[in-house]
Amino acid sequence: MSIYSNKRGNQDAELNALFHSYRAACPDPEPSAHFMPEIWRRIEERQRSLFFLGRWARAFVTAAAVLSLGMAAYLYIPLEGNTVFSAESYVEAVAAGHAVDSAEFVDSSLE
Amino acid sequence: MLVDFELIKRAQAGDSAAFNEVVLAYRKRTLGTIARLISRPEDVEDVAQEVFLRLYFSLDQLRTAEVFEPWLYRLTVNAAYDYLRKHRRRMESRMSDLSEQQVMLADAVAGGRVDHEVRQQRQVRETVDALLSAVSEADRILLTLKEVEGLSLKELEKIYRVNENALKVRLFRARQRVLKALGETGSESRGKGTAKAEI
Repeated sequence: MSIYSNKRGNQDAELNALFHSYRAACPDPEPSAHFMPEIWRRIEERQRSLFFLGRWARAFVTAAAVLSLGMAAYLYIPLEGNTVFSAESYVEAVAAGHAVDSAEFVDSSLE
Repeated sequence: MLVDFELIKRAQAGDSAAFNEVVLAYRKRTLGTIARLISRPEDVEDVAQEVFLRLYFSLDQLRTAEVFEPWLYRLTVNAAYDYLRKHRRRMESRMSDLSEQQVMLADAVAGGRVDHEVRQQRQVRETVDALLSAVSEADRILLTLKEVEGLSLKELEKIYRVNENALKVRLFRARQRVLKALGETGSESRGKGTAKAEI
């Protein structure tokens, strides 16, 4: 058990030393000359794409609103026209529909 | 803190010069952290630029000065994690090949091609990279921040926004896996050494 823990302790120390050496083996790199210009190029590129996305979104919302209004108008206008027919009762509507039949009946009685 | 909050406030208000100053103050440290997190020198600048790009577009969300540095670390960790996940680093120096690489390196030294210090640093980098490949990308980052960058648990708590105990558990498990890998590497090297001696 003590051999195991001793080995484990050694490995812990070895790993700590490795991590410590790793920090020294990987120093902070110097940025290149085009580091800052490249950042600003990326920022401008992202801003442009966000701008176009915003414009596209606004156009889409406007088109959707116009379409909704158009559809509402389309649905509303036929309903307005139908109010004349809906004012008739069912019997009146049936009577109006059988006007031709009664004319035939009159014709047969004359014979 | 490397800059005062007034400068950050000016950057928040859209002052490009102020933002430039913030980047200039933090870029070297950020580059260093990323270099140690991703271990790919050729992509370090690219990831660092992504960090500052994210900083620029989220700067208006910052409310207090004391959260700026943990927040920048958080952006760094996220960018490094995204990079590692995208590239799914496959270590060129796999655990089993480690001692062979060391032999090759020793040959190079014998031929006088590599300077002693450079050789040692390279060896340390390769060994630690190989050991860290034993854990997930997320744990690799957490372990590097704690053990290599030297961040305290309190600082990590602010970066990760999880409680200290959860971090301790994750760190302990990650470290155990790395220790296991270290043990295996050691025994493999010893095994190969014995086999070579027998031959």
